[in-house]
Amino acid sequence: MSDDGDASVLYVMTHGKESPERCATPFFLAASAAAMDADVSIYFTMNGPQLLQKGVAEQIGPKGENGEKLSFFIEQALDCGVKLLVCQPSLDLNDLTQQDLIDGVRMIGGAAFNDMAMEADAVITF
Amino acid sequence: MKKITTGRLRVSGDQAAPTQTIDVKGKACPIPVVKTAKAMREMSAGQVLEVFATDPGVEPDMHAWSKQTGNELISIDQDAGVFRILLRKV
Repeated sequence: MSDDGDASVLYVMTHGKESPERCATPFFLAASAAAMDADVSIYFTMNGPQLLQKGVAEQIGPKGENGEKLSFFIEQALDCGVKLLVCQPSLDLNDLTQQDLIDGVRMIGGAAFNDMAMEADAVITF
Repeated sequence: MKKITTGRLRVSGDQAAPTQTIDVKGKACPIPVVKTAKAMREMSAGQVLEVFATDPGVEPDMHAWSKQTGNELISIDQDAGVFRILLRKV
């Protein structure tokens, strides 16, 4: 890993709105990594894309009614330059289309995901 | 593994006079690091940023942040639960 800002970290989020206590951590760890000048992406698969559905992030938070909502953590990550990625089958699994998602989510495929994983300095799965 | 040092790491005298200060007291991880990164992006090489924080994790976080970004961690002092961190932009 170089110390000149070329490090890259790929987070993989597999949990959705069924477990709000798990929803925020990938976003704030990704924000931390991006603040360290790393190239950071979060890939949402299995139930993960549910968190990116419009309206969901304002409804749930890691501590329920106490503490920040998920929307706070998503905005913080985006503000730091974190990229949000989904693939088509994951959306279909959740009966979602890209139009149902918040702005700024990029669609990739399985090959692109695996290529990112092979190129990344670290892949962290939640 | 790098030893976490408390107290002053290096005596820098007047060179460490801060040009900007941010106060993130009461803010939890990752806000101190996120705000530090943002503030440093706006600064010029050689300038010093002063950060006040209370997050107990801020000390190892600032060591990690400076190691990864290459910016210099001049000192971390703690007084009554408040950390004062000085960082120099490279």
